[in-house]
Amino acid sequence: MKRIGVDVGGTFTDFIYVDDDGKIEVYKTSTTPHDPSIGMMEGINAICDKLNIKHNEIQEIFHGTTIATNMVLEHKGARAGMITTKGYRDIIHIARHKRPTNFSIVEDIPWQKYPVCQRRDRYAVSERVTAPDGAELIPLNEDEVRAAVRKMKAEKVEAIAVCFLFSFLNPAHEQRVKEIIKEEYPEVYISVSSEVLPQFREYERFTTTGLNAYIGPTTARYIKQLEMTLKEQGYTAKVHLMQSFGGVASAKAARKKPVNLLLSGPVGGVLGAIWTTKLTGINNVITLDIGGTSADISVLADLKPSMKHLLDTKVGGYSAMVPMIDVGTIGAGGGSIAYIDEGGFFRVGPQSAGAVPGPACYDRGGTEPTVSDANIILGRLGRKLLGGRMTIRPELAEKAIMDKVGSPLGQDLYEAAQGIIDVMNNNMIQEIEKESVRRGFDPREFALFACGGAGSLHACSVARELGMKNVIVPLNPGALCAVGLVNTDLMYDFSKTEMQLSTNANLEGLSNDFAALEKKAYERLTEDNMTDDNIVIQRVADCRYEGQGYEMRVPIIGGDVTDETIEKLKDSFHEIHKKQFGRAFRDVAVEIVNIRVIGTGAIENLEPIEIEKGNGDISAAVIDERQVTFKVDGKPKHMTTKVYDRTKFKAGDVIPGPAIINQMDTTIVIEPDCVGNVNDYGVIVIDIND
Amino acid sequence: MAKMIEGLNIPRVEVDPVTLQVLGGSFKMIAQEMGMVLYRMSYSSIIRESEDIGAGIVDINGRQLCESESTPMHVGSIGGNVKGILTRWKLEDIHEGDIFIHNHPYYGTSHSPDLHICLPIFYKGQLISFSCVQAHLLDNGSHTPGMDVFARDIYAETRIYYALKIYEEGKRNDQLWRMILDNVRTPSMNENDLKAMIASARHGIKRFTELLDKYGIETVFSAIEDWMDYSERMLRNAIAKVPDGTYYAEGYLDNDGINLDKMLKVCTTTTIKGDTVTIDLTGSADEVYTAFNASFEGTTMTSISYIMHALFLDDDIYHQYIPQNDGMRRPVTVIAPKGCIFNPNFPRASFSRFNQANLLADCVMRSLADVMPDRVSAGTSAHIHFVSYNGFNKDKGEYWVYLEVDEGSYGGRCGKDAIDSCDALVANTRNVPIEEIEWHYPLRVERYELNPELVAPGKWRGGLGIIRETRFLQEGTVTCEGDRHIEAPKGLFGGADGHSASLTKNPGSADAVSLQAKLSDEEFGVNDVLQIRTPCGGGYGNPFERDPELVLGDVLDDFTTIEDAKKSYGVVIDPASMTVDAAATEALRASK
Repeated sequence: MKRIGVDVGGTFTDFIYVDDDGKIEVYKTSTTPHDPSIGMMEGINAICDKLNIKHNEIQEIFHGTTIATNMVLEHKGARAGMITTKGYRDIIHIARHKRPTNFSIVEDIPWQKYPVCQRRDRYAVSERVTAPDGAELIPLNEDEVRAAVRKMKAEKVEAIAVCFLFSFLNPAHEQRVKEIIKEEYPEVYISVSSEVLPQFREYERFTTTGLNAYIGPTTARYIKQLEMTLKEQGYTAKVHLMQSFGGVASAKAARKKPVNLLLSGPVGGVLGAIWTTKLTGINNVITLDIGGTSADISVLADLKPSMKHLLDTKVGGYSAMVPMIDVGTIGAGGGSIAYIDEGGFFRVGPQSAGAVPGPACYDRGGTEPTVSDANIILGRLGRKLLGGRMTIRPELAEKAIMDKVGSPLGQDLYEAAQGIIDVMNNNMIQEIEKESVRRGFDPREFALFACGGAGSLHACSVARELGMKNVIVPLNPGALCAVGLVNTDLMYDFSKTEMQLSTNANLEGLSNDFAALEKKAYERLTEDNMTDDNIVIQRVADCRYEGQGYEMRVPIIGGDVTDETIEKLKDSFHEIHKKQFGRAFRDVAVEIVNIRVIGTGAIENLEPIEIEKGNGDISAAVIDERQVTFKVDGKPKHMTTKVYDRTKFKAGDVIPGPAIINQMDTTIVIEPDCVGNVNDYGVIVIDIND
Repeated sequence: MAKMIEGLNIPRVEVDPVTLQVLGGSFKMIAQEMGMVLYRMSYSSIIRESEDIGAGIVDINGRQLCESESTPMHVGSIGGNVKGILTRWKLEDIHEGDIFIHNHPYYGTSHSPDLHICLPIFYKGQLISFSCVQAHLLDNGSHTPGMDVFARDIYAETRIYYALKIYEEGKRNDQLWRMILDNVRTPSMNENDLKAMIASARHGIKRFTELLDKYGIETVFSAIEDWMDYSERMLRNAIAKVPDGTYYAEGYLDNDGINLDKMLKVCTTTTIKGDTVTIDLTGSADEVYTAFNASFEGTTMTSISYIMHALFLDDDIYHQYIPQNDGMRRPVTVIAPKGCIFNPNFPRASFSRFNQANLLADCVMRSLADVMPDRVSAGTSAHIHFVSYNGFNKDKGEYWVYLEVDEGSYGGRCGKDAIDSCDALVANTRNVPIEEIEWHYPLRVERYELNPELVAPGKWRGGLGIIRETRFLQEGTVTCEGDRHIEAPKGLFGGADGHSASLTKNPGSADAVSLQAKLSDEEFGVNDVLQIRTPCGGGYGNPFERDPELVLGDVLDDFTTIEDAKKSYGVVIDPASMTVDAAATEALRASK
């Protein structure tokens, strides 16, 4: 089995090649934003050339793309229309009628300023079904539907969303509209709410279905084009795309439901972190991925990602009520700007100097002090970046820090620089606390996994402040997403709203619905050539206490749904509620809001490779020695610190702090009194000592 | 001699800039987490969907230290409730494990259905602050289910709990607990919501105590003072940028619900002097003998604090976190003559106070339009229609009550169109999904979309409110706290006025009835429909200066018509091609 993972990021496209012989090759190209497949093909071809592999020998390509996400963030989707129930033309405009911020008069409302379907393209037709069993109140007026479709065809609308109230209970009207669209306008992209998201809450469902239409045509074209280009160049590999809930979909499935690709960006990193952490024997980890402008944080108890609540899954202010791995993002990165605000308080971020003008020390015209400038002054970052391709001017960093922070606060250069790092770290510490506490976890029971360009610069201090015992630094922090990509499974999620009470559940109905969802999952996986040996089907129910509004995921046992199934479900729910909120309401009925089936098609995982064993002597890895400033007893202290080359480390090496470790894509800081251990697979596990 | 922290026997120390940031973030986080616990555990939709709650930590002087990001009306009134509790209890009579319940509108509460739960925080044996949660519960034993509009005094509007201990030193007073639940129409919902509120407040104690352990009491409380000073400084700096002067705006509320021909005036005289603001409400209507008064501390002050923050420190312009704490009140003086609708005398009722709060904020905003043209909007809906749909469920032996806050809209703004269909100003709640309503109540929502009125013309158009039609499938009643059926939102700088609101029973049928904005126990039989149309905000600037392409877009989106484009905006659109006739438009605009 030969496999390539490709992760297209904003700046770079990362590649990883793996095969059964244990061969791993990592590669990087610049992303080609106008057509990402150009950079992608260049990299795939380069790997094949380098390893002397024929194109048709590659069996699988795993692809992570932000094409759909960028379309939403940049408001560059297709002209999408909507056919909806008469009386409800503006559901996606009204949203939940809550403004994004409390204290603002001048703010923009994203869903009103840039609607996914403009009002002129929203057609309300006569029809209506209702709860609890999907009874038809008003029949579908097919003439109105046909007229609307013809009008949209004349207007050259590129995609049509079909969104009727309560369609998840009775999809007949939506299905009929789909047939009419196919008759009248077969080439248009169709997105049907009962297919995209058969769940209650009309605003969220309509918007998600609208988004699917908005990003559908371009995403589908992109995937198709990619498959064709691969074919033309002699590749016969199957293409899989990363989805936001942590598995890949076949190209065909992804074309139908591109909304599942939204927010898949950070997922590869999370999966890569899970795979890497398994090599350390550690079970609970929080990932800290720090880039130039933002930091991503995810809490992985038992190395399992948690899912965002369906009301919290948003992209660019729009609700996309699809399962997503819970990754929290804050505006704190290497480029975050430090400043004294009007009220005299010391702030870092969320404004960022970005790539241009960038930190002051890059000498590209930036005059604001950034976190990277502070890291330069403190000696944590070296004065040559990108393997010497970029020279740093520390005097510019010094000037910016003193002008904007040091002098106004009456601090010297090192105090001011350390202050910038402290405020930055604290932003992340508070986010980590929030992310773990709100799930009922104590961060002290977790290790911190450092990734992204700047994660390992800050991880030791952050972990120490939080009372965490270890920091894990993977072998290739920059290629982590690609590692995650080739270590995933095919995964499909099917759901249905039930709204049944545990006291009075329709057991037969639940059994039938679960069976129907499982059949769908099974069929989808067999379409992808999965077999019974590697198909796993899981059941989950989104539950709440009767009367509550906030559901939580509860695993549910397979087979026919019986009284015993419901009893077990209740017990699990009470436990989960207690864990999260500190109490369970055992005498209140449990409401089964949605049922969900997750079908997984297991794909062989990457075999880790052991690195060469060392003899304990690390002197050969030392490349430099310099003064680095650390915070000791609350004060900056200059310490002579050795600088190492990561590539020279061998298994079993022990690196005493303070130490700096350089590698191509990151710099690792080991704080004083901490110790780095290189394990058999080259992963560095740092012991944090108080 | 060292400066001491007010009310606590501890010195105020200097806190370094980094620790200040850390603690500021922690205060915010604690309040947010408290809110999160409450939303997610709670039962009634008014808490979990509308988020009609507030949570935070308050010091022993009743000063608010931090607040959750919930509806602003609550955010400002948490401290006032503690002050109210302390009018009845000496600090030495408050013990660890006590839990207070409080809702007295003359002692800090914004209005009586907002139950306030207050837990003292003890640290090393000393009472140092309070962890507080307040939420609007579904029904609190008011005259009509869920709310009250016509009560003549506070005894008629709801059950009043004036600083009662429902827990004493950790032990629940079961008799009192039962007494509370026996006197409301939705006891099972209320019971679980009260439990969720207590859990949320306990979470606040846990997190605040952790902070004290980590940073020490002196540092934490000094940082609290610093953050109050900071918010004060930020507000003063922003006020100082606005030219000194006295500015005025007014508006009219419909009536008190009984004297239908007597409109109620709202007068705001805003004086900017240096870095201070004085808001004088003299000239505003006298108090009324229904529940349509606004309590001074809980509503009037909260509304003004809200609009000060939104006008001078708009979240969209100031990206850093500026806490809405007690410091924000220091540069602001409010004059509200005793006995006016914004400062009623005991025992006047004040259950229905939101429209007054919103029109007050709207008037203060508009009074400053000339000197802050880029920070204001034209007249907003400045209202809510807060509706209780209810009936008696014979099977359960309990009432069902569904409360909905019906939203309005904003006016046009400098360089941008208005916000449509949203809660305005001091309100910021969420609607309840239709697919939730029809599942859980004997109601059918038959229409919910933008108000079909034409948008108010302006260089930047006014916003549209909503139209909503709800049919009763079983008999029940409606009680409604509404307003703005008469006066429409004002246009600004040449923009047109918007549209007022209306309530209609069985619209479009032979027995259609136009209803007042304030309803008490209006009976709805099986198949009766209630239609609500909410106000549409005013336009901003001369509509003849509106970009013709934007006007074309408005026509395409049915925000206006081809005829109105010509008449109100001077834009000529060719109906065949649906494009702007540039030459004809130029000629028409030149002729005016």
